[in-house]
Amino acid sequence: MSDDSLPTLKILLIGPSGAGKSALLTRYCDDEFDPDTATATIGIDFKIKKLSVRGKAYRLTLFDTAGQERFRTLSTSFYRGAHGVILVYDVSSRASFRTMERWFEEAENNTVEDAVLYLVGAKLDKAEHNGGGREVSPEEGRRLAKAHGAMFCEASSKTRENVRKPFVELVDAIVSKPELLVGNRVRRRAAGTVDMHDDGAAGYLPSCAC
Amino acid sequence: MESLGDTLWDVVICGTDLQQSLLALSLSRSGKKILHIDPNGYYGGTEAAFSLQEAESWVTDVAASVAAATNGTCPWRSASICKPEAAATEGQRAATGLSFPRAYSLALAPQIIHTRSDLLSQLVSSCAYRQIEFLAVGSFYIFKASAPAQASKEMGKPTLSRIPATREDVFSTTAITAKAKRGLMKFLKFVMDYDSPPQTESWGRYADVPLTEFVQMEFKMDNELQTYIVTLTLSLDGRISTKDGLAVIHRHLTSMGVFGSGFAAVYPKWGGLSEIAQVACRAAAVGGAVYMLGTDIKTMQESSDTHDANLVMSVELSSGDTIKTRMLVRASVQDHSTTGDGVSGAMGISRLVTVIDTPLKSLFAAVVEGSPTPAVAVIAFPVGSVTTATGKVSENPVYVFAHSSDTGECPVGQSVLYFTTLSTPDSKEILMQAMDSLLTAIAAEEHAPRSLFQLHYEQARGATNSQTQGLIFDFPSPSLSLSFDDSSLESVRQAWSRITDESVAEMEYMTFPDREGAMSDEDEMYT
Repeated sequence: MSDDSLPTLKILLIGPSGAGKSALLTRYCDDEFDPDTATATIGIDFKIKKLSVRGKAYRLTLFDTAGQERFRTLSTSFYRGAHGVILVYDVSSRASFRTMERWFEEAENNTVEDAVLYLVGAKLDKAEHNGGGREVSPEEGRRLAKAHGAMFCEASSKTRENVRKPFVELVDAIVSKPELLVGNRVRRRAAGTVDMHDDGAAGYLPSCAC
Repeated sequence: MESLGDTLWDVVICGTDLQQSLLALSLSRSGKKILHIDPNGYYGGTEAAFSLQEAESWVTDVAASVAAATNGTCPWRSASICKPEAAATEGQRAATGLSFPRAYSLALAPQIIHTRSDLLSQLVSSCAYRQIEFLAVGSFYIFKASAPAQASKEMGKPTLSRIPATREDVFSTTAITAKAKRGLMKFLKFVMDYDSPPQTESWGRYADVPLTEFVQMEFKMDNELQTYIVTLTLSLDGRISTKDGLAVIHRHLTSMGVFGSGFAAVYPKWGGLSEIAQVACRAAAVGGAVYMLGTDIKTMQESSDTHDANLVMSVELSSGDTIKTRMLVRASVQDHSTTGDGVSGAMGISRLVTVIDTPLKSLFAAVVEGSPTPAVAVIAFPVGSVTTATGKVSENPVYVFAHSSDTGECPVGQSVLYFTTLSTPDSKEILMQAMDSLLTAIAAEEHAPRSLFQLHYEQARGATNSQTQGLIFDFPSPSLSLSFDDSSLESVRQAWSRITDESVAEMEYMTFPDREGAMSDEDEMYT
């Protein structure tokens, strides 16, 4: 089965700047971690990852915020068609956690009701540095997630701890919701939409003169 | 994080209207330092799409900016909202009433895009189209206010007559006589290569007279066929010249079948051009552009940069930041209230957007087998076909874009109608009357459709050309045209060339490799 024909799930990573969204994504997709890239990732629109859940393969398209989280300018079009949203904060930053209520609100306002939300407390390694770096307790994170009907875990892109967990659990939750997968919503294009494929010039030749 | 003031920006773009957003897209692989701001808290500017709530606050904002006379860039006037159903069912929400505000995405400037438009080829070559869903624009209809039925004083019911759009369609239609069919076929054939020598001679002397006159004289078309032809041009005053009209109809006919059978134009799902603007901005952000909404320019002045012999602009933003940039690109800043503009004078349009409680299915039937189900239908009210209760008769055509819920602009079971006509003192009344008449015409086919929400506003046309002054580039104000006007792409390219180094070939404009393909091929297993 070619990858293109797999059912596609759109998953977003949102949250404040510097929370560790890109690091989580890069660790999950490429198993890489660069402690020095603190700046926003340039040039990557989304990453694709194949994942099998309950014996069925899915094509995940994972969208990062492309820096548009900095001044909270994510567009409504960014959220369209999302099956799941991973909201990321930094367990070693109280300030980052404080913004999460607004990120939940934005995600809830812009996605369909059934979209699955997952809260991740990132940079767990900092918390475990003799416990000194932690500013947000796991209980607080769990409580916030629960208030929004979201799942929760803490993770470290540096140590790999729990890196796969949010993605796997999120996808598992998405695929267990038939209403999220109805009709053509897992396909790249819904029925009735026009195919603008760019296979050379063929698409631009008139097939019918009038 | 680096503060905004520490960077010397190559360009600051103000406004996220389509043109500014396409400029950002065109520069998205250039490595230029781009700061893209918008005074509004939303994307899309004059082409924005709104939830009901956003529409209400927009109406308030328009009133405030008109009152404060601070509306240098605001082309809007007389915006108002009416919810007839809410008033009628006071307190008790009707089962078929409005859904929650975010279930709607009403376009301020809905435009259909012909499949041969360069906008689409640029979206394809830049790969931006992948994030946009395009829907087919289906049939064009003419509204016919029927004459009083014989033997009765009552007016017959108005009807909608579908314009045959393809050759097959002309043959099969029963709406026009055999003689008229021959005239129409002859005309359609002529238009297909109207621009080559033998044909150019036949219309050359009509070039600047109305198209209706030309088809009447040369193709013996009666009034009704003339209306068909003019409707295909979507001419706001119905008096499009032969030269322009033939070009528009040629575009229409040659656009038929480009991306599939049965349609000549497309419409981006979720609010039209607003969606394209957002996707273009996202592409620019992926390329490193910095975005700020709700941020305006307070003051600006040219100054010399300490590290650089070149002049730079020093711009103070409403956010409090002061930044330096080599170039500033904005929307046209002409005062729309006083500026006449060439021939069009103070031309403006009057619009009525209304949510209807029924899906109006009959309008969206696919005519050609195998074509996608249209999400948009076009209905034209010819000059003189709308008469208000106070006896005012429409002097200009009224055009309606009917959008099904497939556009994502309203919930399933409802539809959105966008009415447009040239502004006149009576245009609002005319639009309201046109809406009532249209609902009556459709009522036979569906259970008495009702209007649940109405947004009315006037839009003025400002500068028609881009302007350059020092380090500032101003885009022309957006076209009022109902179909996307490729000339607005030209000013985007102009702005792009001003910013881009000469070493970059024009050929590379808007042509980018796909960013997709960041596929990590390990297959995770989980059971």
